[in-house]
Amino acid sequence: MSLTSTAAHAARRAAQRERVRILYRRALKDTLNWAVHRHLFYDDAANLRERFEQHRHVEDLDTIDRMIEDGEATYNKWRHPDPYIVPWAPGGSKFTRNPTPPEGIEIVYNFGREDND
Amino acid sequence: MQSIRKSILSHVNLRRSIERWCFSGNECANMQFRYLCSSTGSGSDLILDRVIALAKNYDKINASKVTETADFQKDLNLDSLDRVELIMALEEEFSVEIPDEKADKLACCADVAKYIALARADQKIGERP
Repeated sequence: MSLTSTAAHAARRAAQRERVRILYRRALKDTLNWAVHRHLFYDDAANLRERFEQHRHVEDLDTIDRMIEDGEATYNKWRHPDPYIVPWAPGGSKFTRNPTPPEGIEIVYNFGREDND
Repeated sequence: MQSIRKSILSHVNLRRSIERWCFSGNECANMQFRYLCSSTGSGSDLILDRVIALAKNYDKINASKVTETADFQKDLNLDSLDRVELIMALEEEFSVEIPDEKADKLACCADVAKYIALARADQKIGERP
């Protein structure tokens, strides 16, 4: 009985760790969207880290769950409407621009010269 | 009248200074071009070197302990949030996007370099400059 309960406890802890990590990652990226200069970003990132570190030693599972939910709600509330996307990632400004020509089409780089010139 | 003249003069000055800055040293411009080219089309060794240099620069890591296969969590004493920060710094350095679930699995510098090389290869297939 106690074995299963400890196993369940461990599984729940692992899931919470995963959620916190993903929340931190997204929040950090979102910080970079809001702070357009590096010197602004460093302060904001330090603040964010501090907010996570405050609750580092909380052990109670339900409290952690509630705090994660609060954090996710805050993140969703402050999410940037137009986030930065790497140019060649899906949704970026260079995505699928200038694709390779289809099979069987060849570009001849002779710059307008003919063969008999 | 004076103000207009001044503004035009400042404009001309600015343009001249920009011109001088750009074209005075042709060699310098060439060097810059070469640098840009090499930084976009680097081999996997170069990527690994850059990853290791960045990890050494990260302030919570003891720089002398960084090696190719040193595990971020076990050998370099990073907690999970530090790892998130490091991976994000790497994403910015190479301007790639690493999805959340892949980012967890990158445990050492060699892993990261391998992933970035793969992402670059995919990108080259998708589009050619």
